Amino acid sequence: MSARIKLIGTGILLCLALGATIFCAMQTVQAIQRFEESRNLATSGDVSTIGDWMTLPYVARVYHVPENYLDQWLHIRDRQSTRHTTLRALADQYNRPVDSLIHDIQRAIVTYRKQHTPHTGNTQHDKGQPPTGRKKP
Amino acid sequence: MSIFLSTLLNSLQSYGYPALWLSIFVAAVGLPLPIGLVLLAAGAFAALGDFNVIVLALIATSASVAGDCLGYLIGRLLGSKPLEWLEQSRSGKRFISPRTVARSRLYFKRRGGWAIFLSRFLFSALGGIINLLSGIELFPFRYFLFCDIPGEAVGVVIPLALGFAFGASWEAVGDVLGAFSLFVVGLLLVIVLLIRLIRYMCSVQRVKTGHRLTEVQNVTDVAPIIDPPAPSSGHLPLS
Repeated sequence: MSARIKLIGTGILLCLALGATIFCAMQTVQAIQRFEESRNLATSGDVSTIGDWMTLPYVARVYHVPENYLDQWLHIRDRQSTRHTTLRALADQYNRPVDSLIHDIQRAIVTYRKQHTPHTGNTQHDKGQPPTGRKKP
Repeated sequence: MSIFLSTLLNSLQSYGYPALWLSIFVAAVGLPLPIGLVLLAAGAFAALGDFNVIVLALIATSASVAGDCLGYLIGRLLGSKPLEWLEQSRSGKRFISPRTVARSRLYFKRRGGWAIFLSRFLFSALGGIINLLSGIELFPFRYFLFCDIPGEAVGVVIPLALGFAFGASWEAVGDVLGAFSLFVVGLLLVIVLLIRLIRYMCSVQRVKTGHRLTEVQNVTDVAPIIDPPAPSSGHLPLS
């Protein structure tokens, strides 16, 4: 193969690789933006960030809700067997769609927050901060 | 989330460290499992106290190295013989010349270390193939381990640390890592192609200058016939 053909071929490949790299760079920037959004939602305690990979104890700790409250809400009796089960596996175990289970958990958390927010106009609990509990007299 | 990943995470939660070791080992041998995401999730679980992050790192590194060694051994035991046959037999020589095999072996010996190291964390999809190739090419085992262990350590620590730091957002971190590694691969490809292009341009330039020189030489060779130089002896030509 002559050097001129090699030169043209490499030039074409370089253009393609450059295009692909620019595309990947744009994808990376978009992924970083999505990550920032997700991070903001997670730190603000938004319940929409609950994923099917989480376990009930994980949800309880991240969203500051007592574990037994979630168990009661979901009518789970055998707590030990579900302790290390992801929400997807739990949904399979109870023969229900995982989205509906997550939706139930989201409602449980929102209800708990409403019940345990002091009526001072402070929306600290809605933002996912841990409940401070009642003040001791 | 894929069913594979969901199953892996469920087994990680249910069976703990042994499940993690086994899944990483199998992935290191060559099965395409989303281990980077599993490690991110494991880091997120560790952040809330489900696992010890140091034990996770040790287990994941040991499993990866063990899987890589098995891949290398498979390549060495099963792959090197067909290559030898291709190299030595008459019918094998039709497919691939012994010179090509020797050249590829030499090239892998020179650059294989970097390929092994980088494929542990940057191009992890190629890890299994590079393990096999290292065995087939009879890459020295000690040097293989020397490149493999630090690479795997980096490849394990990065996702674990990111999962530990960013917790519930690990899926978004996984997307960033995936996109970023593709970007790095593209960038490396651009650099390699750019270097090749410059080399080819230089060789074309050299060929051109070579042609010009030969043309000039031809001209100087032809020139005395047309216009002979004056005699240097100082004697005038006899008329």
